[in-house]
Amino acid sequence: MEAASIAHSPAHGDHHGPPPANRSSRVETQLLGMLLFIISEVMVFGAFFTAYFFIRVAKGAPWPAPGDHLPVEVAGVNTAILVSSSLTIHWAQTSIKNGNRFGLKAGMLTTFLLGCTFLFIQINEYANIGFAPQDNAQATVFYSLTGLHGAHVFIGLCLLLIVTIRSFRGHYSPQEHRGVEVPGIYWHFVDVMWLVVYSTVYIL
Amino acid sequence: MAVRLRAPGFYRAGWMMLGAIIFAAGLTWAVRASTGHSTYQHFLDANAILTVSLFAAPLAFLVGIGGFDYWFDWAIGRPTRPEDHSGHGAYSWKDYFRINTDHKVIGVQYTVTSFFFLLVGGLIAMLMRAQLAQPGSQFVDANTFNGLFSVHASLLIFLFIIPVFAGLANFVLPLMIGAPDMAFPRLNALSYWLLPIAGLMMLGSFFAPGGAFADGWTAYAPLSDNAPIGQTFFSVAVQFAGASSIMTALNFLVTIITMRAPGMSFFRLPLLVWANFATSLLVVIATPFIAGSQFMILLDRALGFNFFHAAKGGDVLMYQHVFWFYSHPAVYIMMLPGFGIISEILAVKARKPIFGYRMMAFSLLAIVALGFTVWAHHMFTSGMAAWIRIPMAITTAIIAVPTGIKIFSWLATLWRGVLHLDTPMLFALGFLTTFTLGGISGVMLAMVPFDIHVSATYFIVAHIHYVLFGGSLMTIFAGVYYWFPKMTGRMFDERLGKWHFWSTFIFFNLTFGPMHILGLQGMPRRVATYANQFADLNLFISIASFGLGLSTLVFLYNMVTSWRGGPRAVANPWRGLTLEWQVSSPPPVFNFDRVPTVVGGPYEYGVPGAVHGIFAPPPKPATVGAGSSSSGASGE
Repeated sequence: MEAASIAHSPAHGDHHGPPPANRSSRVETQLLGMLLFIISEVMVFGAFFTAYFFIRVAKGAPWPAPGDHLPVEVAGVNTAILVSSSLTIHWAQTSIKNGNRFGLKAGMLTTFLLGCTFLFIQINEYANIGFAPQDNAQATVFYSLTGLHGAHVFIGLCLLLIVTIRSFRGHYSPQEHRGVEVPGIYWHFVDVMWLVVYSTVYIL
Repeated sequence: MAVRLRAPGFYRAGWMMLGAIIFAAGLTWAVRASTGHSTYQHFLDANAILTVSLFAAPLAFLVGIGGFDYWFDWAIGRPTRPEDHSGHGAYSWKDYFRINTDHKVIGVQYTVTSFFFLLVGGLIAMLMRAQLAQPGSQFVDANTFNGLFSVHASLLIFLFIIPVFAGLANFVLPLMIGAPDMAFPRLNALSYWLLPIAGLMMLGSFFAPGGAFADGWTAYAPLSDNAPIGQTFFSVAVQFAGASSIMTALNFLVTIITMRAPGMSFFRLPLLVWANFATSLLVVIATPFIAGSQFMILLDRALGFNFFHAAKGGDVLMYQHVFWFYSHPAVYIMMLPGFGIISEILAVKARKPIFGYRMMAFSLLAIVALGFTVWAHHMFTSGMAAWIRIPMAITTAIIAVPTGIKIFSWLATLWRGVLHLDTPMLFALGFLTTFTLGGISGVMLAMVPFDIHVSATYFIVAHIHYVLFGGSLMTIFAGVYYWFPKMTGRMFDERLGKWHFWSTFIFFNLTFGPMHILGLQGMPRRVATYANQFADLNLFISIASFGLGLSTLVFLYNMVTSWRGGPRAVANPWRGLTLEWQVSSPPPVFNFDRVPTVVGGPYEYGVPGAVHGIFAPPPKPATVGAGSSSSGASGE
């Protein structure tokens, strides 16, 4: 339980609440919920990768469309930024496990800022790439896959912002750091998904 | 009044929705102005505002009604309110109209809402049959008719069958596994409130300019790309209904895995729990695909993307692949929980252990796995590569095997049992009959040449109604009657229940049986009128369908009057062994004083001295205190 709400237990000692549920699995409920949610998310990407497959592979359309150019190098730098944010969130998680509050705060803030940088560069890329999703099906697939990923980065950033605010407000402890772990898993998922998107859309 | 406007509830939801619509208008205006569209032209074109509002207003409603309050406090690091269980349980009818974290209240909310949409969808069907009673146009024009059958199918699939199973399971599943509630009660509450939004949005499409979405529940591109704005209502409503199912499924999976009572191993789970476990796996894995397909339609429609514009290199066939990759597993999402209900009822009513318990469980998992390998059998005539039909035909035939295992296991359960032929049992037996017929026509459709012959004819209509009405709806009726005493604490009128069964069963077969013949003769489906040669059978079908409609009124009357003034139900009227029958009817607010211990299988009927779960003596007060604090952590 989180630090801020732990004080209520004695006051509610006489309250008739539900009986304690039996824990029939060693897996934590929150962790399992997040993993199942990620399966769902992978399938959302699967739907859009199906579009990619049908347009690029099954129909054999040239990639990118003739005259268009994908900024592989800029996106490569962006990839490095996102991957390093996975390392910094791991630093934050390790820090709180060891009771290092400074490491938690600094790690979360760095991760958040790295994520924002990634998103900023991505938007800047859209503005300067020179083609629009309305132009052709390849552009549609490019924008929808990177845009879908961008939306996930945005959701991930919202989660990171929550964790950052709470770590600056003194939440989490070496005993209770589930609130850092579970969003961290999501952030790693966003990262890995980007590697898949980057390698299929830009490199291949 | 000011307090009312600030406190979570319908007042706050109202002004927040208004704000969301203004926000949507402002956002569209700002974006359009920044990209050089004329403001004047923009005010004439309300479609963009409508599209954004369809997302913004429901979200504002959810915020307003209080679905996010706790999480919001948590997110900004405020001290969370101690869990006082005030949002739990229903003490008056008003408690059913707010965010409620009690799985039993949510179960009732789900079930009642879904039945509302069943009635609406049924009335639409009546109007369609009135139109089809004779050749030529009777009541509605062809475009309205297209809207009618599209909304009929969408409502009954997304707002009735899928959520009503979630509702019944929401009520009984935590009780069955000995859990005090679901794993994520607040998520559970939120998932319910997405449902009325989706349903009202689909119905609201009738009032959209250009009429309701009119290209079937399948919404094939490119037709749906270019349809009037009503199509957007469908695409957005599916997002909400889909999000609701994913949340519930995730919740079920986590609950089943982590919150079973001591001794409740996987092979001691009642088959309803197994069925919902399998269904939830399907939902979590498959539902994102329909979300994806509808996002593509939305992007094409609203922002001019080219997923399905062949001239710009888009691929129309891709829509069907993505859509059916969800929608074939979806037919199992609409069937597996029904299998679970039937397993419960047959064992109890035949007073025999279920035959082949483990095979029943494994066949569910086999259906889950095979369900992902058959989607293209909906596309035999779509123009995809011809060779794909062969493996799809084979897997389609194979998926009949696990279903067959279940049918034969049920028959073996009945074999030499002491049958109690009351209403739930009659519906269960009726299900066995009609679903087997529907399954057989399904295997016929797996054969490519036959499928090509009857594709898009009334044979398909007959098949889908035999599996969804004769299959799913029969199990739903059976389940509602079976758990009615537990859910309401009252007994239903048995005589009216039997009337309901026989009228439903007879008129169902009279309505949908002849459609097989019409289909073989070549009458196309989804048409507002037809050739004179089909007139006699259609008139017969229409008359029978009105009888089917009337039979529902018997059900409604029985449910309403029994709920209001039926005789009080005892805790265990059917002498069931599963845990939900071991608590009072209706169950206590927190289900159990103490979680029971499971010591045996759930179906040991007729076995002398068999026990499924035992209840230890009431706990000492100190244990209760520890309990309430640990359960408070469940949502964090």
